Amino acid sequence: MYNINIGQHRHCDGISRRQCIRLGATSLFGGLSLPTLLQLQAKAATTNQLPKAKACIFIMLEGGPSHIDMWDLKPEAPAEIRGPFRPISTAVPGTHISQLLPHCAKVADKFTILRSHSHNDNAHQTGRHWVLTGYPPSFADGQAKGVPFNELYPSIGSIVSRELGEGARVPPYIELPNALGPGGPGFYGAKYAPFTIDNDPSQPDFKIRDLNIPASITDERFERRQRLLAEAERLGVGQPTSGRAHTLSSYYQQAVDLVTSPQARKAFDIQAESSATRERYGYSSIGQSALLARRIVEAGGRFVGIDHGSWDTHTDNFSSHEKTLVPPTDRALSALISDLDDRGMLDDTLVVMMGEMGRTPLINKDAGRDHWSQCQSVILAGGGIKRGAVIGASDKTASFPTTQPYGIQDLLRTIFALLGVDADKVYSTPLGRPVPIVTGGKRIDELLA
Amino acid sequence: MAAPTFPSPLSSHFVAIGATVCLLSGMGTNVKAVETPGLRVYPSQVQLDSPESSSQVLVFGRSSDGNSVDVTRQATFQVSEADIIQISSMGRVIPLKEGRVEVRVNWNGNSSTVAVEVKGIASPPAVSFHHDVIPILSKAGCNSGGCHGKAEGQNGFKLSVFGYDPPADYEALVNSGRGRRVFPSAPENSLLVRKATAEAPHGGGRKIEPDSRWDRLLQRWIREGMSLDPPSIKPLSGIVVEPPEVTLEVLGTQQLRVSAIDANGALRCVTSEADFQSNNEAIAGVDRQGLIAATAVPGEAAILVRYLGHVGVCRVTRPNGSGSSDLSRPSESNFIDRLVWDKLDRLHLIPSSVADDASFMRRAFVDTIGTLPTTNEARGFLADQSTGKRSRLVAELLQRPEYSDYWAQRWSDLLRIDKDTITPQSAVAMSRWVRGQIDHNVPYDQFVRSILTAQGSTLSQSPAAFFQVHSEPEKAARAVSQLFLGVRIECAQCHHHPFERWDQKDYFALAGFFTDIKRSPHPLGGLKIAAGAGSDVIHPRTTQPVPAAGLGAPPATFAMGQDRRQVFAQWATSPENPYFTRTIVNRVWAHYFGRGLVEPIDDLRATNPASNERLLDALAQHLIELRFDLKSFTQSLLDSQVYQLSSEVNESNRIDEQNYSHALWKPLPAEVLLDAISQATGIAEEFNGWPKGYRAIQVWDNKLPSHFLEVFGRPRRETVCACERGTEPSIAQALHLMNAPGTIGKIHEPSGRAAQLAQSELTPDAIIEELYLATLSRFPDQGEQQLMRQAFESQDRPAATEDILWTLLNTKEFVFNH
Repeated sequence: MYNINIGQHRHCDGISRRQCIRLGATSLFGGLSLPTLLQLQAKAATTNQLPKAKACIFIMLEGGPSHIDMWDLKPEAPAEIRGPFRPISTAVPGTHISQLLPHCAKVADKFTILRSHSHNDNAHQTGRHWVLTGYPPSFADGQAKGVPFNELYPSIGSIVSRELGEGARVPPYIELPNALGPGGPGFYGAKYAPFTIDNDPSQPDFKIRDLNIPASITDERFERRQRLLAEAERLGVGQPTSGRAHTLSSYYQQAVDLVTSPQARKAFDIQAESSATRERYGYSSIGQSALLARRIVEAGGRFVGIDHGSWDTHTDNFSSHEKTLVPPTDRALSALISDLDDRGMLDDTLVVMMGEMGRTPLINKDAGRDHWSQCQSVILAGGGIKRGAVIGASDKTASFPTTQPYGIQDLLRTIFALLGVDADKVYSTPLGRPVPIVTGGKRIDELLA
Repeated sequence: MAAPTFPSPLSSHFVAIGATVCLLSGMGTNVKAVETPGLRVYPSQVQLDSPESSSQVLVFGRSSDGNSVDVTRQATFQVSEADIIQISSMGRVIPLKEGRVEVRVNWNGNSSTVAVEVKGIASPPAVSFHHDVIPILSKAGCNSGGCHGKAEGQNGFKLSVFGYDPPADYEALVNSGRGRRVFPSAPENSLLVRKATAEAPHGGGRKIEPDSRWDRLLQRWIREGMSLDPPSIKPLSGIVVEPPEVTLEVLGTQQLRVSAIDANGALRCVTSEADFQSNNEAIAGVDRQGLIAATAVPGEAAILVRYLGHVGVCRVTRPNGSGSSDLSRPSESNFIDRLVWDKLDRLHLIPSSVADDASFMRRAFVDTIGTLPTTNEARGFLADQSTGKRSRLVAELLQRPEYSDYWAQRWSDLLRIDKDTITPQSAVAMSRWVRGQIDHNVPYDQFVRSILTAQGSTLSQSPAAFFQVHSEPEKAARAVSQLFLGVRIECAQCHHHPFERWDQKDYFALAGFFTDIKRSPHPLGGLKIAAGAGSDVIHPRTTQPVPAAGLGAPPATFAMGQDRRQVFAQWATSPENPYFTRTIVNRVWAHYFGRGLVEPIDDLRATNPASNERLLDALAQHLIELRFDLKSFTQSLLDSQVYQLSSEVNESNRIDEQNYSHALWKPLPAEVLLDAISQATGIAEEFNGWPKGYRAIQVWDNKLPSHFLEVFGRPRRETVCACERGTEPSIAQALHLMNAPGTIGKIHEPSGRAAQLAQSELTPDAIIEELYLATLSRFPDQGEQQLMRQAFESQDRPAATEDILWTLLNTKEFVFNH
């Protein structure tokens, strides 16, 4: 939407009076650029929105999980395709999933399987970039790198942070147990960057990096230091009331709040959960990450991205799915969904689990499956998603959707619609290029409750 | 290669802007020295040559204080014969029938006349698709990136964004959609017209008023048989924006006039079809008709004008306050001061006073060598009473090895010396080469020529790996263009650059210099880079080869078997190249002053003018005179009063961020901050696998695991954009400063500064003084002494000393250079 007519907004219509006053007061003699204003003025096109979800927990299975071994089994297919796993029945009559997912089978009435997700990017970095930003990357620098040349698209989390991020006691966009590849803020800037918990919550000594006051510093001493600091700042060199130094001041205050606020500290204190609950999610990276995500959402977090890796099973697909990959995932996802439901949180918490691709139906010579983006299964639950449905279907080898294929933009539009984010909103890059939150795609109405 | 192969690449819009000044000398700019009569009308003669043409008249009056001001909308217009033309209250003339007529313009008791001639009504010239239809599709927004210009089009109708591909647009309008968009036998029923005027339901709403000039023009084009201009049609040679600059009072306005210059040099008014955009809406906005309106906020804005791929600009100045300034100008050390004070004068801004010695010292150390002064260095400099000590300090800093370390690291970022891309061995080799170049103060043009023509083994101390990183012609062209010429050409890969003159042809022409670079495995490991014969790049749309050419330059010629890159390097690094010198000057300026004269610093274009063009020109000239000696150039920058201004603001310059009326706060880069903490605490950082004592600014390995460096924005070296280095603060940074075990450990370490001071014989006051010098490089004042003494009152000396050190490391005065 390049046709935002600036001329018509000369008197600041389109932005609130308060913003106007703030612009006037801090406009830095040219420090306020046109793009900034465009961003402020970026207008929502009217769409049929149905905000149901307050928060989103997004589980990224990095490497590409095998849809045909998990959610979309083809027991009638030849042996070189169907693999060793058998389907089992679930809480939803007629819906069958893999024997590897017994816990999910029991709560299949709470989530929906989308079996016709499909796109055409068969590589990890580029596919993940597309999934997480909504933009198929035409990386000028090739796909070995996670950053497109000069133009960095914001990730879903940064978009959610920007649109819905005000007011929580915890950072609105959190990633764990490590950064999601293209999970950054792109041209939106550091303000919308994720707070990355670079630590695995399943570790016994888990803590949030730098959140805890060192043991050698008593609370009293910490307070004394804070008083000293506040006075030293006041007495020191006069500081600007805008710009980066000023921003760091406000972040510093937020950091102090995080460190000292019992509510925030509690959100991150996974040890406060009963061992029964921790057991229910499983003592795995994905399990405890999912549990921590639930605690963060309870404290007001808006988007929690969970990164779970090693799904790129070119060799030994079956043993790794059976032994290391699926069981903790089965436990984590089923526990998360049912726990959210038990707590009355599922209706306003959207859970999404997917990879950047599926895996080839044809088993390779190393008992592995290779990259296959043409057909994948995505699991969605809560936040306005149907319960217990299977949407879409694939052909008899799980190679291509036989129903309407849904692409990444379709999926993202659906996620944003449920969160009440206008996917057609446009922000301009510093170079002045207008970038809608999502370009193209249609909301997947079949998924909606 | 003695002479550059091409003439100067001065772009046509530079010429156009220059031409504007001649056409309108003195008019519209309220330079008091210019004699202005009571009323001036421009132009004095108007010619309209088709039924749908229009012409903007500008009226300038003299205000009560003698300035020339725009009164176009306040003036009244009387037409001698009312049926020949119509003139709107905004001064736009529209033809009705053929003939000659005189318009009398009245304002405030003054009057003047304009002669108008109308032709081409009875037998109008045929409508040109390129020159008449495309501009309307652009102005109405049809082909914008948010509508039919999107990559996938809109509802099945796709136009090229900003009309960069007229044949494709012609195809889309005339032939695709089963030809339903145009209806030659009943043009008014054409879908094109009915949708645009919202006579038929249109998702985009009404874009063109029914029966307006544009509606009639589209219909006439259809009626005339929808001709596509012959391929030989000559493109416009440029546009003229009038006035080219203007000074406006609070809420003042200025109407613009835009003319297109055709291939024969003839002018045609296209004000109503041109696109207008302000680069600084907070200071001055512009509407669709080209009326600039200033706000109450003082400063400068550029109004960008776009028409058929050409761009022009009108610069707006909004002085601070309404009255005139009465500044006593601070003294001048060199031309930099003169040009900055000139600017501040014009804007009625009072610069801050000159910074004290301590602030200057810390600033100069951190900016130049990325290193804090030691307490001894600080004491020595502060005690020195001799004159000229500041200039001497800068000269000394420029000779220190840390200067080479620090600047080698900065250039390694920009040149993308990344071990994951080019192997650790190559990264070490190229890093060493870069450091050597800086250490020997190799002239910048020579440094760049070496990079551009690099060859040989990537394992030798050479820039050869630059072409391993930039492994394809287009990749190299984009990187080189942005890095050394400040031109972000990548938009033009897919479409005409919306704010620039560059199109796909320019893009592929540039790529033609970097074809056929051979990258073969070297027998001793690494790659061997060698240039082959080279060939022109095929344009993907036209499938024709595009002759290699510099930006805005005619096709290059190559001697038999010549390395094409040599021809490019000669052109690119020539002092006559207007991009090359300005780009490096702006880059270096931005480093020391916290903000480029042009921002973003590697995005130079006519539509993104410098905040002080005269200064940028003078700096470029100065560097050329210095034969690209960057150390001498840096000395000039740091010798200026402007560099030495305090960061403390006054009432008048509080809001200034781009005119250098006070020093800006700059975050310490990640590596510099880590070194500063190590130095202040007296505990060196240990880098895994590196000998003890290496500092962060010396580490060539940009992927060395370090949470600290990542949190504070170390670049990943994945692009040549200076923007890759994170300079924005984050919560993680604040947390890290506050609680990071590494920093807390350094403060607490028994061999560290805090413990050593606590164990010493020094009094609490002396300890406090030492800690202020070690962190903030200045003595504490009485109030600060008194505050910090409190720490000693409630606890033992080690705890008190640690608390003070922790506190000082957490001040923004420590984390920023100011």
